[in-house]
Amino acid sequence: MRGAKLYIPFLLIACILAVTACSHIFSTEASLPAWHPEALGEGRVDCSECHEDQVRGVMKATATFKHSTEFIKQHRFYAARDGLLCSICHASSFCNDCHANQTEMKPPIKLGNRPDRELIHRGDYLTLHMIDGKIDPVSCYRCHGRANNEKCIRCHK
Amino acid sequence: MKNTIRYLALAIVSLLPTLAWAADVSMSGTSLFRFEQSAFPGFTKQTIVPATQFFGVDVDKIGDGNLSLHLYGWGRVDLADKSTNEQNDTDGNFTYGYLLYRFPTANAEIKAGRFFINEGVAAEQIDGISARANLKKGFALTVFGGAPVKLDRDRHSKGDYIAGGRLGYRLAGILELGVSGLHEGNVTLDPASGAKDDRQLVGGDIWFSPLRMVELNGHSFYNAATDGISEHSYSLSLKPLKTVTLSGVYNEQHFKNYFTYSNLRSLFNPDTDGELKSYGGGVTWALLAPLEVGADYRRYNRTSSINNSFNTDNNGNSNRYGMDLRLILLDRKVRSGISYHRSEGASGFNSYHEVRSFGMYDSGRYVASLDGIVQLYKYNIFNRHQAYELIGSSGYRLFPELLLSGDISYTRNPRLNDELRGVLRLTFNYAVANKGAKK
Ligand code: HEC
Ligand code: HEC
Ligand code: HEC
Ligand code: HEC
Ligand code: HEC
Repeated sequence: MRGAKLYIPFLLIACILAVTACSHIFSTEASLPAWHPEALGEGRVDCSECHEDQVRGVMKATATFKHSTEFIKQHRFYAARDGLLCSICHASSFCNDCHANQTEMKPPIKLGNRPDRELIHRGDYLTLHMIDGKIDPVSCYRCHGRANNEKCIRCHK
Repeated sequence: MKNTIRYLALAIVSLLPTLAWAADVSMSGTSLFRFEQSAFPGFTKQTIVPATQFFGVDVDKIGDGNLSLHLYGWGRVDLADKSTNEQNDTDGNFTYGYLLYRFPTANAEIKAGRFFINEGVAAEQIDGISARANLKKGFALTVFGGAPVKLDRDRHSKGDYIAGGRLGYRLAGILELGVSGLHEGNVTLDPASGAKDDRQLVGGDIWFSPLRMVELNGHSFYNAATDGISEHSYSLSLKPLKTVTLSGVYNEQHFKNYFTYSNLRSLFNPDTDGELKSYGGGVTWALLAPLEVGADYRRYNRTSSINNSFNTDNNGNSNRYGMDLRLILLDRKVRSGISYHRSEGASGFNSYHEVRSFGMYDSGRYVASLDGIVQLYKYNIFNRHQAYELIGSSGYRLFPELLLSGDISYTRNPRLNDELRGVLRLTFNYAVANKGAKK
C-alpha cells in the first residue's frame, strides 16, 4: 500500500515535467520588482487608489488584492497561490508574527500598540479558547497541532 | 536554544563577507521588555520580566544584483520569575535564513536555506530548497524539497524529508486553477507504539472571477495516506455596488483525514470519526468613505463519535454572529472601531458575548491608542461570568525608523484575580537604500 501511494508525487513530477517541456518553457515577461516601489503606511491598503490595471505575474485585477475585511479573513487562499506578489510588500517576518513553529508571545502582546490590526487571540484567550476550540478546532490546526504547541502541552498532554 | 545560538552565530559569520559586497542592507527589530504581575486566586503573586529581541536582516543586490539574503529570529531572557514552564530562563528560535536568487524574467526564483513555503496544500517551515517560475501559456510551477523543521520539544514528530509542488494555470483576469502535492517521509503517527507513515496530501485550488464583481476562492484537499477528503473550503464574494461586499463561505473537514499527522493527538484527535461543516455569510458596507459597517454569521456543525481527552461530548450546532463598525479619519491618522460578537455553543458547550472597542491616533511623531474588550460567559468559569482587558499604549517616533512605545494593560478574568502588564517596546526599521516598503 505504501509503495502504491508513492505514485502520487511521482505522477505529479511527471506531469510537471511534461507541462514544462511542452510550454518551451519559461514566460518571457519581466519579473515583478523585488520591493514594492512606493512606501505604504500602516493600515488597510486599497490598491485601486493607485492602480487600475492587472497585476503582472499573477494576472489578476489589482482590486483583487485590496486589503478589505474579506481579503484579510481569507488571505490564506491568496497566500497559497500568489505568494510571489505578497513578498514584494511583506517580508516573511510579517507573517511570522502569527505563523511560526515557535513564537514567543501571542500577537496582541507583541503588537499591543496596533489595536487596528486584525489580530487573533485578543483578551483572555486562555479562557476563551476552551469555547472557540470546541466550536471550531479545525481553524486552530492551521497553526497549532503540528507546530506551535509549546504553550499547549502544559495542559493538553 | 543551543542550536539556535549555533545557527545564528553561523549565519552572522557567513553574513560578514556578504555584507562587504552588498549594495543594500536593511535591518529590522523589535525589543520588548514585559513586566507582568499576576495574582492567581489562592496563590502568591507572580512577577515575570522577560526581555525579548526579534531581529531580522535583509541583504539585497548581492553579486550580480539578483541574489539576496534574509535572516530572522528571536531570543529571550527572563529577568525575574520564569515566564514559561520550561527549565531554562532563556529561549530562542531561528525562524528563517535563506538565500534568494530572483531571475529578471518569468518571476523565476530559487530559495535555499530555512524558510516558510505556502503553495496549495503546503504551509510548511523547511530546511531545503524551492524553485518557482511562470511558464508560457499561463502555467506556473513551484517545487520544493528538504527536511521539515523539527519542534524544540518533540523532535520526532516531523518526518525525515519533505517534498512537494504546485502547478498552476492562469487565464488572465478570469481564472486560476492549481494542483499541488506534498510528501513527508516517516512521520510518527503514534508516539506510544512508534508507528510511522508517510504524510501525503494532494489538492486542487481555484480562483474564478467571470465578472469584476464576482470572485470565487477555494480548495479541496485529499489525504492520500488515509484515502479520504480532508478538507473542502470555498468562499464566494460579490460586489454588487462599489461600496458593498457580500460573501459566503463553506467549509468541511473530516478529522480522520485532516488531523492525521497531529503531534498533539490527545487534542486534535484523528481517531474520532468526527467532522466539521461550517457555512455562513457576511456583508460589509462602506456607508461613507471613512465609515464601514459589517455583519457576519456562521454556523458550525460538529460531530465526533469519540469523546476527547477531557471526556466531554463534542457534538452539535454552534452559531457565531456579530457586527462591527470601523471609522478611519484624517488620512488614516485616526483609526477606530467597535464590535459585538456572539458565540453560541452547541448544547454542552459554553457561550459568550464579546464587545470590543478601540481607537488610535498617529500624528506621525506621536502615537496613542486605547483598546478595551469584555467577554460575558453563559455559564460561570471558575465562578466568574466575565473577563475584561483594557490596554493603553503610547509611542514616540524618535526617528522615522525608530519607534519607542509603551503599553499598560489591566486584566480581570476567571483564571486571574487581576493582572497588570507593562510592555516597553522599541521598533526599528533601517534600510541603507530607499527601496520602498517591506512590511
Ligand atoms: C499609494 C499608492 C499605491 C498603493 C496604495 C499601491 N501601490 Fe503598487 N505601486 C505604486 C507605485 C507608485 C508603483 C511604481 C509604478 C508602477 O509600476 O505602477 C507601484 C508598483 C506596483 C507593482 C509593480 C508593477 C510593475 O509592473 O512593475 C505591483 C505589482 C504593485 N504595485 C501592486 C500593488 C498592490 C497589489 C497593491 C495593493 C495591495 C498596491 N500595489 C498598492 C503605488 C501604490
Ligand atoms: C502593495 C503592497 C502589499 C501587497 C502586494 C500585499 N500586502 Fe498585505 N499588507 C500591506 C500593508 C501596507 C499592510 C498593513 C500593515 C500595517 O498596518 O502595519 C498589509 C497587511 C496585511 C495583513 C494583516 C492585516 C491586519 O489587519 O492585521 C495580512 C494578513 C496581509 N497583508 C496579507 C497579504 C497577503 C496574503 C498578500 C499576498 C496575496 C499581501 N498581503 C499582499 C501591503 C501589501
Ligand atoms: C494577524 C495574524 C496573521 C498574519 C499577520 C498573517 N496571517 Fe495567515 N492566517 C491567520 C489566521 C487567523 C489564519 C486561519 C484563517 C482561517 O481559519 O480561515 C491564517 C491562515 C493562513 C494560511 C493557511 C494555513 C493552513 O495550514 O491552512 C496561510 C498559507 C497563511 N495564513 C499565510 C500567510 C502569509 C503568507 C502571511 C504574510 C503575508 C500571513 N498569513 C499573515 C493569521 C495571520
Ligand atoms: C494564525 C495562527 C493561529 C491560529 C489560527 C490559532 N492560533 Fe493560537 N496562537 C497563535 C500564536 C502565534 C500564539 C502565541 C504562541 C506563544 O505564545 O507561544 C498562540 C497562542 C495560543 C494560546 C495561548 C494563549 C496565551 O494567552 O498564552 C492558546 C490557548 C491558543 N493559541 C489556542 C488557539 C485555539 C483554540 C485556536 C483555534 C480556535 C487557535 N489558537 C488558532 C497562533 C494561532
Ligand atoms: C491552562 C491550561 C490550558 C492551556 C495552556 C491550553 N489549553 Fe486548550 N483547553 C484547556 C481546557 C481546560 C479545555 C476545555 C476542555 C473541556 O471543557 O472539555 C481546553 C480545550 C481546548 C480545545 C477544545 C477541545 C475539544 O475538541 O473539545 C482546543 C482545540 C484547545 N483547547 C486548544 C489548545 C491549544 C491549541 C493550546 C495551545 C496553543 C491550548 N489549548 C492550551 C486548557 C488549556
